[in-house]
Amino acid sequence: MIFFQFLANGISYGSLVALVAVGFSVIYRTTKIFHIVHGVIYTIASYFLYSLFVSLHLPLLLSLPLALGGGILTGYLVERFIYVPLVRREASGGIYFLSSLGVYIFLVNLIALIYGNEVKILSSGIEPTVNIGGVILTRIQIFQIFVSLLLFLLFFLFLNRTSWGKLIRAYADDPVLLETRGVNPYKVRAFVFCTGSFFASVASVLSSLDVGMDPHVGIGAFLHGAVATIIGGVEKVEGAVLGGYLLGILQSLVIWKTSARWAEAVTFGLLILFLLFKPEGLLGERRRVEE
Amino acid sequence: MEVNGAILEIENLKRHFGGVRAVDGVNLTLSRGRITALVGPNGAGKTTLFNLVSGFLTPDDGKIVYRGERIDKKPPWFIARLGIGRIFQDVRIFHNLTVLENVLSVVKDNPLEKPWNLLRARKYREFGKEILERAERWIEFVGLADKKDEIAENLSYGQQKLVAIARLLMGEFDLFLLDEPTAGVHPKMIKKVLDMIVKLKEEGKTIFVIEHNMNVVLEISDWVYFMNEGRIVSFGTPDDVLGDKTIRAIYLGV
Amino acid sequence: MNYLLHILIMINIYIPLALSLNLLVGYTGLLSMCHAAFYGIGAYTTTLLMVNLKVPFFPALFAGILFSSLLSLLIAYPSLRLRGDYFVLASLGFQIIVFSILYNWVSLTRGPYGIPGIPKPSLFGFEIDSLPFFFLFSLFFAGITFLAFRSLYSSPFGLVLKCIRDDELATIAMGKNTTFFKIWAFVIASGFAAISGALYATYVTYIDPTSFTLDESIFILTLVMVGGAGNLKGPLSGVVFLIILPEVLRFLGLPDTVAPNVRQMIYGGLIIYLMRKRPQGLLGEYRWR
Repeated sequence: MIFFQFLANGISYGSLVALVAVGFSVIYRTTKIFHIVHGVIYTIASYFLYSLFVSLHLPLLLSLPLALGGGILTGYLVERFIYVPLVRREASGGIYFLSSLGVYIFLVNLIALIYGNEVKILSSGIEPTVNIGGVILTRIQIFQIFVSLLLFLLFFLFLNRTSWGKLIRAYADDPVLLETRGVNPYKVRAFVFCTGSFFASVASVLSSLDVGMDPHVGIGAFLHGAVATIIGGVEKVEGAVLGGYLLGILQSLVIWKTSARWAEAVTFGLLILFLLFKPEGLLGERRRVEE
Repeated sequence: MEVNGAILEIENLKRHFGGVRAVDGVNLTLSRGRITALVGPNGAGKTTLFNLVSGFLTPDDGKIVYRGERIDKKPPWFIARLGIGRIFQDVRIFHNLTVLENVLSVVKDNPLEKPWNLLRARKYREFGKEILERAERWIEFVGLADKKDEIAENLSYGQQKLVAIARLLMGEFDLFLLDEPTAGVHPKMIKKVLDMIVKLKEEGKTIFVIEHNMNVVLEISDWVYFMNEGRIVSFGTPDDVLGDKTIRAIYLGV
Repeated sequence: MNYLLHILIMINIYIPLALSLNLLVGYTGLLSMCHAAFYGIGAYTTTLLMVNLKVPFFPALFAGILFSSLLSLLIAYPSLRLRGDYFVLASLGFQIIVFSILYNWVSLTRGPYGIPGIPKPSLFGFEIDSLPFFFLFSLFFAGITFLAFRSLYSSPFGLVLKCIRDDELATIAMGKNTTFFKIWAFVIASGFAAISGALYATYVTYIDPTSFTLDESIFILTLVMVGGAGNLKGPLSGVVFLIILPEVLRFLGLPDTVAPNVRQMIYGGLIIYLMRKRPQGLLGEYRWR
């Protein structure tokens, strides 16, 4: 019985990881940038929500989309003003990563400067819970699971059934070919960053509605998303989703069996094993790496 | 121990990628001290063959024997130490290093490359002077003496290729694998590059060169192998092979 | 005066960290995000031996260096097999795992409670218990580190590392066993990071895992990026600049509540600016491309 409780908690947390992972995965697949700023998008959307909902007392129905918009905008601005100039320079992966790191550090501390370093919550009071066959989840947790599954389904349909979606996938596989066909790479990139940031922002607000927000958790969430993507497989978006849920469940089970302390070590130990022995992930195809 | 003056022998070499048989049962011998050209249409498997010989790829089947020693399963750095040096299609020198540093880095068995020897650096001062002299000599040989402290990135493409040649000379390799040495080089520089290659032969080196420029092949090579679709289709002197009508037909896709 | 000595001691403690990370990042081209892990392993090994087993400073230091170097093989191995981003991710993972162990293996490390009461180092029976003496003591270690890296950077060993940074394939084709070089780069770098750890532990006389987090790894990387990579004066200038900066900010009246955040914003802003306009940092040689 307790097992199912932990499993449910794991799926609920896994939804958030999967959202972050999908965002990271679509950006990484398309641009090959190790976009650490993704972690601060995960943070910043919640703070936009806080300002709109708590400080300005705007209704939730208005604050939420605006907050998401703020997250998307931030992601887009980083692409437009930090990464695009580097593309023109044909910079190496290292520079993108370091620039991304710089932006992450800057933004996280800007948020902390404005809002404070401590945890903030959106509303006080006990969140009502639901009892499903002995397993207890808060309303928000159930919401997390449903919203994320819905978004994944929609995104999957988008990628496979719409022409724009197929274009994104094709571009990720072979950017040069598509560019010679007249596809504007900057438009594709902008779209991908907006989409990725959208997913991170959704995860952000879902998380803060549940447990509040903290400026410094971004990199942890980002890393979980990256680990989930590697484990599930970086080639397909389904990999990120699978990896996210698996990671959520794994963490929950480790916490159950050994206590919260070792969840991180197990997670990253698993990451290193996958990187070394199965870098294509669970859903990826084994590719020979020729020198 | 070489038989009949052959420095490299390849026997029934095979390598595939997915469904493609890039190298499909190649038999080939390189005579020591000669320049042998490897020609053929794009995708024939020439660069794959080079990768197999230099150890960057392992063959699925077959043998590669260098000076009597089997090398087909050895790592690339080990094969390089045996004396097989390579210039890549895209030059591949060290862009952030000076010309002198580029050449100095090639030195074989430099004791100061082992960090613990730095504690006894004084002992190796003579060695250091000697390799510096040698490096400067080879830089002069390729005609870049005035550029020796220049960052390699600032050189022209042709000059960078000369640096690559100076490095091969410094490394005391005996067999040189040159992958399209004249590609992308300014016509005026081509003569210089070719002169270098001929001088290498005069120094007793063996050259195996992939070339698309038939004039170059005719001018400098002693022997020619024609490769198509992973197999050796013809072998002989440049005039024999390149004069053959069927070869020309394959090459021009007629 | 004491204040000045404190700053100088911190500079001395960070010099081995910066110069050793430079060997990995600036010379070999390995963007290692786990240097604080070796800093911490050195600190904890020295501390545990000195506090629990009453081992004197120098043998404890030596053990710390040895243990740190040995453990570096765990991340050196992935560096041989993983390209670029994947190696960065692996090093991030390694950092988090080490921190997790330091934080959670409470029976060994006392976890978040930390280890107080670390004895002062003693030299031939003479205890280093005053600030001026500790300054000289730390200066000694900074000095030999400086000499060691001056030798390493300009040696044929250092040259091959730079070759690997520029083009590993071409380096292999020259006949260099790049595995050998990368492993030694890690062993040396982690060993020197351990020296910093031992100095830090005996200076502050109390350590806990929060000094050896991912943020600290990022800070050490920032030192090398801002100061500049690929030569001696780059990382040194980075250490001096970034250790003095917070003091300057405080002097200018920045309140302590916001100081840490403002500092970090400056670090972040500097990195962004330098990567755009001046990739070689203040005084470095290697321009990130």
